Amino acid sequence: MLSLHHHLPGTTTNANLQFPPTTHLRHSTPFPKTLTLIPPKPHLPPLTPKALLQWNRKPQLSGETPRVVVVTSGKGGVGKTTTTANIGLSLARLGFSVVAIDADVGLRNLDLLLGLENRVNYTVVEVLNGECRLDQALVRDKRWSNFELLCISKPRSKLPIGFGGKALTWLVEALKARGDGTSGNGNGSTGSRSPDFILIDCPAGIDAGFITAITPANEAVLITTPDITALRDADRVTGLLECDGIRDIKMIVNRVRTDMIKGEDMMSVLDVQEMLGLPLLGAIPEDSEVIRSTNRGYPLVLNKPPTLAGLAFEQAAWRLVEQDSMQAVMVEEEPKRGFFSFFGG
Amino acid sequence: MALASIWTVEFRLLSVHPCSPSSSTRTRKIHRFRITNGIPKEVLTRTQEFQQHCTTSVSKFHHQLVTSIPMPQFLVNLNVGSNLPIWVCVAVVVLFASLRTIFSRKKQPPGSVADLVRRGQLRSDRRGISRDPKFEDPFDNPLVKVSKNKSSVEMCGKVYRLAPVTLTQEEQTVHQRRRSRAYQWKRPTVFLKEGDSVPPDVDPDTIRWIPANHPFATTSTDIGEDFAHKNVSQKSGVPFRVQAEHEALQKKLEALQNEEELNKVVINPTNAKELARPFNSHAEKSSLNNQLKDPPSSKLDNGPNHFEIAPSTGEDQNLKL
Repeated sequence: MLSLHHHLPGTTTNANLQFPPTTHLRHSTPFPKTLTLIPPKPHLPPLTPKALLQWNRKPQLSGETPRVVVVTSGKGGVGKTTTTANIGLSLARLGFSVVAIDADVGLRNLDLLLGLENRVNYTVVEVLNGECRLDQALVRDKRWSNFELLCISKPRSKLPIGFGGKALTWLVEALKARGDGTSGNGNGSTGSRSPDFILIDCPAGIDAGFITAITPANEAVLITTPDITALRDADRVTGLLECDGIRDIKMIVNRVRTDMIKGEDMMSVLDVQEMLGLPLLGAIPEDSEVIRSTNRGYPLVLNKPPTLAGLAFEQAAWRLVEQDSMQAVMVEEEPKRGFFSFFGG
Repeated sequence: MALASIWTVEFRLLSVHPCSPSSSTRTRKIHRFRITNGIPKEVLTRTQEFQQHCTTSVSKFHHQLVTSIPMPQFLVNLNVGSNLPIWVCVAVVVLFASLRTIFSRKKQPPGSVADLVRRGQLRSDRRGISRDPKFEDPFDNPLVKVSKNKSSVEMCGKVYRLAPVTLTQEEQTVHQRRRSRAYQWKRPTVFLKEGDSVPPDVDPDTIRWIPANHPFATTSTDIGEDFAHKNVSQKSGVPFRVQAEHEALQKKLEALQNEEELNKVVINPTNAKELARPFNSHAEKSSLNNQLKDPPSSKLDNGPNHFEIAPSTGEDQNLKL
């Protein structure tokens, strides 16, 4: 039985906990202020469209490319597809070449979230049948041309499951062999090249679709919400992933409400981590803007100005690039210190 | 009723009075005579008093109204010659603004995509023509500020307290061991339809049974594994199936042309398009029949040749015209 009242040191019950001065929020190097470090270059190389982008700093891509990441959860409705869309576009915005595969065979939705539903003409099933080539089935996003969507099947068609998993492995191989085969590391041109990231949106459950989706993956992002139903499924799915040989599993805790955590009505992110024992990739706060962005087909991370959940997704994408994990989590909102705070206002 | 009629008459007299004094007195007298015919003298005197009172009060009000409104200074001291430079400057500014508007319109050709963006039909950021964004570090930007002692973070104007993650590597290993004990799982490698017999050399734990009415998965396939692998890795050129169908149709057409009867027929190029549709439908039917009859491996060996079957009589008749 899962307990709601397990508390680690540093959870919501320890209100006076402070960081040791040497603790860094992230494993990576301290923030370099590259705006001041960039020396003026006398002879600038010809500008490519990517080079026009201005960066304060860039995340360092670690690990062997293409990084094949499956986004899974076990339970449905916890935000797998939303996470795939937002992290995918965040990675594209960071300059990495991304292919998002909607492996949710029966109930695909990633195209809707990305606003690309009218552009999906061919799917993996047509590629397997020889009715089109792989590059014809890839839907390139016009907003960020280094982001491509690949749907595994049309809503009412059936996937021949006999070689479903193998088919995804072939796809990954074919994508890897695309172009000249060199990885762009976020600096390459926008033409077809080997992707830096292949994100696989896994269907809910542990049925044939799940087995197909996890086949080519090297690492997994487990999405869960801070409730016991999602946690039980997440633990089960983590066990299956580990049995299948995927050891690099990080989790994202979605729909976190700090007000409920403060009132002891919701498990904190640290409680969730204690139960699952997985490193944290991100904690996404509950945000009404998620539904609006879904309705618009315009992922949250593209919002201007960015929202709280959008920023959290961007941070998660950053950590994914650097194979990093969270070292500190937001536990509760601090009361505002205003003029009337002296009087208890 | 009598008082009301008197008031109406007085009102009329007052309103007419300032415009034409001579004519108004005349009409007043006429009215008064008409009215006095049936009204007593006391009422008449009261009416006259009231009329005088009203006339004086209105004139007073008019005088106060005129004197209370100040005249603008520039109208009082209206001197066109001294304000000429100001008016010239104003005219120049107006002229410059209008010319600028006209020239800015002439820069872009009418009906361009920029017009659509301006009208809101298209979104500039969706077309990739928006200004290049300046990317901020998601951990240190105007919307995300970590305090110096790293005990709190300000995100979107709200300050959150931070707590450190305390998960250690040992704890992770303990959880992994727990899961490996709890979930003994082997990835299914063989997918069988319910009712199929289990192959002799297959581990039963690796079998996944797919029901016949599964919503999205099926064990039956009309393409072979090698064939599918080849299709996925095809980088350029015509897709395999499209090419195979095209070649099959080409061969069929050649075979028909070689026949003596067809040689006699002169095909009108305008009718060729009409021929294409029955040809395609026939080819699809024939390929489907082949797929149903033959196992996938045999189709792979045959390649496009499996489309070469004897044409049906109906189709022949269509072709022979």
